[in-house]
Amino acid sequence: MSPAARVATGLPANPLAGRGLRLAAAAIVVVNGFFPAVWILLTSLKTETELVRKPITYWPRNLTLDNYLRAFTDQPLLRFLGNSLAVALASTALSLVVAALAAYAIARLNLRRRQLILTAIVASSMFPLVTLLVPIFETMRALNLLNTYTALVLPYTVLNLPVCTLVLASFFEGIPRDLENAAMIDGCTRVGALWRVVVPLAAPGVFTAGILAFVNAWDEFLLALSLNANASMRTLPVGITLYQGEFTFPWPTISAALVVAIVPIAVLIALFQERVVGGLTQGGMKG
Amino acid sequence: MAILDRVRDPGERTLAVVLLAPAFALLALIVVYPIGRIIYQSFFDARLSGGHGHRFVGLDNYRIAFHDTEFWTATWHTVAITLITVPAALVVGLGLALLANLPFRRRWPVRLALLLPWAMPLAFAGLIFAWFFHTEYGIVNDVVRRLGAGGEPTMWLLRPGWAFAAVCVTIVWKTSSFMALILLAGLTMIPRSLYEAAEVDGASHFQQFREITLPMLMPSIVVALIFRTITALQTFDIPYTMTRGGPADATETLAMLIHKTTIDYLDVGYGSTLAVAMFVLSLAVTTVYLRRLARTP
Repeated sequence: MSPAARVATGLPANPLAGRGLRLAAAAIVVVNGFFPAVWILLTSLKTETELVRKPITYWPRNLTLDNYLRAFTDQPLLRFLGNSLAVALASTALSLVVAALAAYAIARLNLRRRQLILTAIVASSMFPLVTLLVPIFETMRALNLLNTYTALVLPYTVLNLPVCTLVLASFFEGIPRDLENAAMIDGCTRVGALWRVVVPLAAPGVFTAGILAFVNAWDEFLLALSLNANASMRTLPVGITLYQGEFTFPWPTISAALVVAIVPIAVLIALFQERVVGGLTQGGMKG
Repeated sequence: MAILDRVRDPGERTLAVVLLAPAFALLALIVVYPIGRIIYQSFFDARLSGGHGHRFVGLDNYRIAFHDTEFWTATWHTVAITLITVPAALVVGLGLALLANLPFRRRWPVRLALLLPWAMPLAFAGLIFAWFFHTEYGIVNDVVRRLGAGGEPTMWLLRPGWAFAAVCVTIVWKTSSFMALILLAGLTMIPRSLYEAAEVDGASHFQQFREITLPMLMPSIVVALIFRTITALQTFDIPYTMTRGGPADATETLAMLIHKTTIDYLDVGYGSTLAVAMFVLSLAVTTVYLRRLARTP
């Protein structure tokens, strides 16, 4: 065990005790992170009668999938999923293109005010989205864009611009200029060199920025709630929140819907953990 | 042909303008124009419902806000949530990061456990914790009962003080993992040799933590704090999904009031005035942070 690790928690040097404490530490982190999702999974598998039994049960007695059936029939859950997917994918693609162009200019061209330009783009993420809600709502209403994908795709693209630009600019800076120059000597134009040399090499960066942008767009709530109120245009977070009626809270159904909604994002981050963590610390973003 | 030549090998300056144009066009449309718009609209009676029209009213909206107790209450809730949940999430996040930094044979379970709360929509955290805090069937009250606390179960989300506490707990859970991820990255950057040298000098674990870990971690802490504070001031999703701002506006934040005024009441003029207040609040906080940042070496 490294001194750094030991000092972190003041663990003794004894390897056996170290192992036990290490397991305890892992258990704390894992339970903290997973418990809410696991609890909602257990809730979703219980029958309605079991859920209103007191004292409450922890492990489901009669496993049932009825709640999942109802989650899909009570509300257009598949439609919500589709809406979320469409909006997140479109805004991710758009912000990647726009950010890649800007990041290339910042990283590669001999601009006098490159730091200022980068700061301007990043500072825009510091403006509270809520203050922009009023004019964005007004504009989309005037343009008859309420309850369309466009109403969300445009603001989400801007929302993700700072992170994508930061991540991509640092990736572009990591690509040796000589490679590009060599391509240009071999007869490529600057744009040709960009397309044939820089873009393929920056693919991992594009991918990382893409995942972060996707998660950001997938999670957004306030604009989705305000701009796309129509039931058929709701995204997942908004749609699931509105399963509840004025006085009723159909918890079994909500739990099942939540599980269905959490699985895609959980799979995505499980597959690309290291990239996500790397991008997150480079780009610094939402909490 | 001259035009084509320029396109095929454009000068640096032209290229820069072309490359940066889309980003700045979008920023102008979605950030710069709206800021000008809310300032302008805040001087108007601009209600979209009914035939009120668009009437210049000077500082009337600001006067109304000044005497609007709901505005001050919502602002206070926003500030209180920020002052409570940001330091709490930092402490919890630091604890999680220190635990997660231990040399595990398999890193993925711990890493995924930090990533899942971060990746989950705030709205989902709000819904799940609302279920935790359910008076009759929530696990929180069940644990309290098992621990032997007698009496009536606490009506968490139906009592103003408890509801506020429940909202804060949820926010801390949801945001501390982001803190932990940023701090964990900072921890892994600290050179081992520093600890080895301290060990040789006979420094205690606590001394090493105070003299090496904390100072070396400071840049990461500041970054995490800035981002967290800015998002805390905009708190909306979690109280909205847990309590809708209730009971009796006890958990209503400024963001929720702006949303209600604009989207539910369609009062764009007053909504803009509230948005200006929010803007000033965030600007003040950001400025204070950046000043501090500039002063620390």
